[in-house]
Amino acid sequence: MARQDLTRDLDAALAFESAGVRMPRRRRRRGDGRRQRLRRIAGEVRRDEVWRLRDATFTVAEGESVAIVGGKGSGREALLRLAAGTLVPDEGSVRRRLGVVPMIDVARSLVRGYTVRQNIYLVGGLLGMTPDDAGRQIESIAAFAGVESILDKYLGAAPPLVRQRLAWSITMATGSRAFAIEQTLIVGDRDFRQRCWTRVDEMRDDGVTFLLASDSPKQFRRFCDRAILLDNGHVVAQTSVPEALSMLRESRRRSSEPEPDDPDSTTDL
Amino acid sequence: MLVLRDLQKQYTKFRLGYLWTLLEPLGMSIVLWFVFSVLLGARALGLQPYLLFLSLAILPWWWFTKGVAASTRVFRRAGGQLRISLLPTELWVLRVLLVSMVEFLLSLPVVLIAMLVTGTWPGPLILLFPVAIVLQFLLMYGLSLLISAGSVVIPDLARIVRIVLRALFYLSPVLYSISNIPQQLQGVAALNPLVGVLGLYRIGFWPEEIESAAGYGISLALCLVILVVGIIVFRRIEPRILKEA
Repeated sequence: MARQDLTRDLDAALAFESAGVRMPRRRRRRGDGRRQRLRRIAGEVRRDEVWRLRDATFTVAEGESVAIVGGKGSGREALLRLAAGTLVPDEGSVRRRLGVVPMIDVARSLVRGYTVRQNIYLVGGLLGMTPDDAGRQIESIAAFAGVESILDKYLGAAPPLVRQRLAWSITMATGSRAFAIEQTLIVGDRDFRQRCWTRVDEMRDDGVTFLLASDSPKQFRRFCDRAILLDNGHVVAQTSVPEALSMLRESRRRSSEPEPDDPDSTTDL
Repeated sequence: MLVLRDLQKQYTKFRLGYLWTLLEPLGMSIVLWFVFSVLLGARALGLQPYLLFLSLAILPWWWFTKGVAASTRVFRRAGGQLRISLLPTELWVLRVLLVSMVEFLLSLPVVLIAMLVTGTWPGPLILLFPVAIVLQFLLMYGLSLLISAGSVVIPDLARIVRIVLRALFYLSPVLYSISNIPQQLQGVAALNPLVGVLGLYRIGFWPEEIESAAGYGISLALCLVILVVGIIVFRRIEPRILKEA
């Protein structure tokens, strides 16, 4: 069964209908893991799950770039994974007409023990490229990432920067018509970032759909047509980018009076 | 693709590489043959020549244990890759299974060696050998789906599986033949799908030692049932697997 079931007759690229998903809680209190499990077996505690996203309803039209605005723990990763279909909603539904490529910490999926070339095949394959596709594009992917010289060397201890660049290049090469990008982790040098954004611009002109989650207001303003504001797993507003950003700032100020500059203080984890 | 990479990795790690796939089961067969045939002199156990008899069951058995044991770890190993993978989730299970299967196929020359050493040649029923491989593949795919999905829900399953496998080794006709079991228990033994599978591997050499057709029928049916149940359970647990990734 393919991960992404496409709905051909959908009149939008992507449609969430009161979608929600529960996720196991990440942080476990140390030390009492075993006791917790025993209690779970005994039926005292239900599995430790929290709603990461609830009752999300919105549509994304083809060719639109949508900013997913919200701090850490607001459910944006869950939203992106639902969009790409690497997560299945517990309630409601997510339908898509286009295959959505998830770009969520792709660099983590690169395998150290593989050569750069093998990694391109592997990760490209995960993202839906056929081996033929990957083989044909291998040169251009490597060139874009600036790793031609180490193409047949093991990825091994390549610096994180190189891994990030490779991940980006592979994702961009999938030739998908829609992307779900979680972008907090991109570091990269200025030059490479510039090239990435130029590429994204080209694709937007070409009518490719983007969902972008980021911590950088600058990126939102530059690339997104509109915004979806998330707070604690709920879609709070669907509005223009500047408005969503100011609402986010507003809510941050309210919830974290003592340390207004610390973005982590809004996290509920 | 992935299968090739996995194998490549495994074989470049050790100096003898491929030879180990042959030496390991061969050594195991010889040790067991020595213990049960020479030391204990148990003529009643299994069929002659015992060395061939053993190696024919030990190779599939190893494929079975390795594949099933590996399937408890599939999704823990997959880690972040599942978060972005657009491929069907079943593929991860299939990958592990195929790796162990290729290893099994590569180790088959051991049987050839045993045939040369003992000077025994198979009859026409050896044609059922590939059937046995297919049957075992189906059985293992179903089991692997069940176990890989199960071990996401129950982390302790890996240990349970290890114990069950150990027990199954003695409960399956690896060291002995089905005819060594008391008559009244043979019916119960047929409920172990491995009995039929292992029987099919051996049938080419000992055609007279055939289990009843009904026995094979039960094995086949059980394999298919496990396969179907595996697929259904996997589908149901799939969202959970994705969440844990």
